[in-house]
Amino acid sequence: MWRRVLRGGHAFIGLRSGGTKALWGFHGLRACSAPALPAGCITALQAVDFWTKQFEGKGVTEPELSSRYIIAYLLGAKTIESLEQQRLKEFLSREETDQLWQLCTQRLSRMPVQYVIGEWDFRDLTLKMRPPVFIPRPETEELVEVVLTDLQRLCGSGATVLEVGCGSGAISVSLLKSLPQLKAFALDQSQEAVDLTRENALRYGVQDRLQVHNIDVVKDADALLGLCGSVAVLVSNPPYLFSQDMTTLQPEILRFEDHAALDGGKDGLNVIKQILTLAPRILPNQGRVYLEVDPRHPPLIQQWVEGNGKSLQYIETRSDICGRPRFCILQNEAPKPDQD
Amino acid sequence: MATSFFSQMSLKSWRLLWGVSPRLSQLLRPSQPGLICVLAVGKKDLTDFPVLVEDELEEQFVRGSGPGGQATNKTSNCVVLKHIPTGIVVKCHQTRSVDINRKRAREIMREKLDVAYKGELSEVLVKKRESVLRKQVKRKKVNENLERKKQFKEALVAENKPGGNETL
Repeated sequence: MWRRVLRGGHAFIGLRSGGTKALWGFHGLRACSAPALPAGCITALQAVDFWTKQFEGKGVTEPELSSRYIIAYLLGAKTIESLEQQRLKEFLSREETDQLWQLCTQRLSRMPVQYVIGEWDFRDLTLKMRPPVFIPRPETEELVEVVLTDLQRLCGSGATVLEVGCGSGAISVSLLKSLPQLKAFALDQSQEAVDLTRENALRYGVQDRLQVHNIDVVKDADALLGLCGSVAVLVSNPPYLFSQDMTTLQPEILRFEDHAALDGGKDGLNVIKQILTLAPRILPNQGRVYLEVDPRHPPLIQQWVEGNGKSLQYIETRSDICGRPRFCILQNEAPKPDQD
Repeated sequence: MATSFFSQMSLKSWRLLWGVSPRLSQLLRPSQPGLICVLAVGKKDLTDFPVLVEDELEEQFVRGSGPGGQATNKTSNCVVLKHIPTGIVVKCHQTRSVDINRKRAREIMREKLDVAYKGELSEVLVKKRESVLRKQVKRKKVNENLERKKQFKEALVAENKPGGNETL
């Protein structure tokens, strides 16, 4: 796991300025003074309490939540709330305690909980998570909801969707699971993302309707164009952060997630612009593009599309659950020329 | 009986109104802005809970003070839903998915509104009473069966007594 992260050389960028803090990786793991295993037996509740304090002491964000999720996972549940009080008051076995210490020690190094437990929920799915593949954010659940509503209304069965930048496969697998007739193409510039998407597709039995390809839409547009015929919908949660904002990211993201899945260039629009440039060539008339973006992007994208969008029309902006402009919907208005 | 009539009414009016199987879980969002109705079913039993009007709801989700989206990695997913007209507040963090918690919060809100609006006639209380009644009927049946078996056994014993035991 550590080797994977180190292979992406750019992963060091955010840490050079940190001086000696750049000694993460194997050193980082040693540098985190992990507490010793308890001498006697402890209960799950006591463990939650103990580790909450440990995380607080080391400045780990969401100390109590992290502790609760990890212990719930250890006991085979998604949340602590779903466990019987009785179970939480029983002593953990030696093996359970060992495993718990291992998991929580990883969290001490600021590894995201989702990577620590190797899974996370997205809508009604439990997906496998693995660094450095980008962890799906809750905002993106709403993107799926928006796409689903439109797909159900417009196309129904037999449509094909193209996802650019699939990461763990959250969007594609979610859509395929909800619409049994749907087919999808999913692309990612990271082979690790491609692998993980395939695993998650298999987990939910949608692998026969999904084709995943290792393609970088910026560097290799031709590969994309040669791949799929016409798709009804293009959906993407592309890297959209502004390069200058990368340095202010929390350690969970900076140290463990693929920077290429986050950095959208100077104005965060590098990949977005490329997607919109390719869209008229992939979408049929009335085909739509659904994007998740930075809250500053919608007016910029609207403006750009007016000059450069060709047949693409900007339809609307939708906000996320926190009220931030988050989703852009565009449509290809390219009716077939009259035939004599 | 008033309660069973009410349940039948619910089934009929449900089918008339929506024309879909009440077991189907759907989130309906018409494209026009304005009144948006949310159907939250997802339960096995037929229920005629009040329909939620999104405009009457205030939703809060703690996403930290950061910019959200890709720039944030937080695991908090607690949803707080407030029904403005009644002031009823529902908090939900049952699952690890914000989307599911939002849907569950709405289901719970519909139940709470049902109790608030209908009082004694609310579906929740009706179902509770029906369940208690069903258990009473079941217990009665079980006892009757036991009694019948007991009497049958006694009759058998009475039959075999004079001739002695032929079977062992």
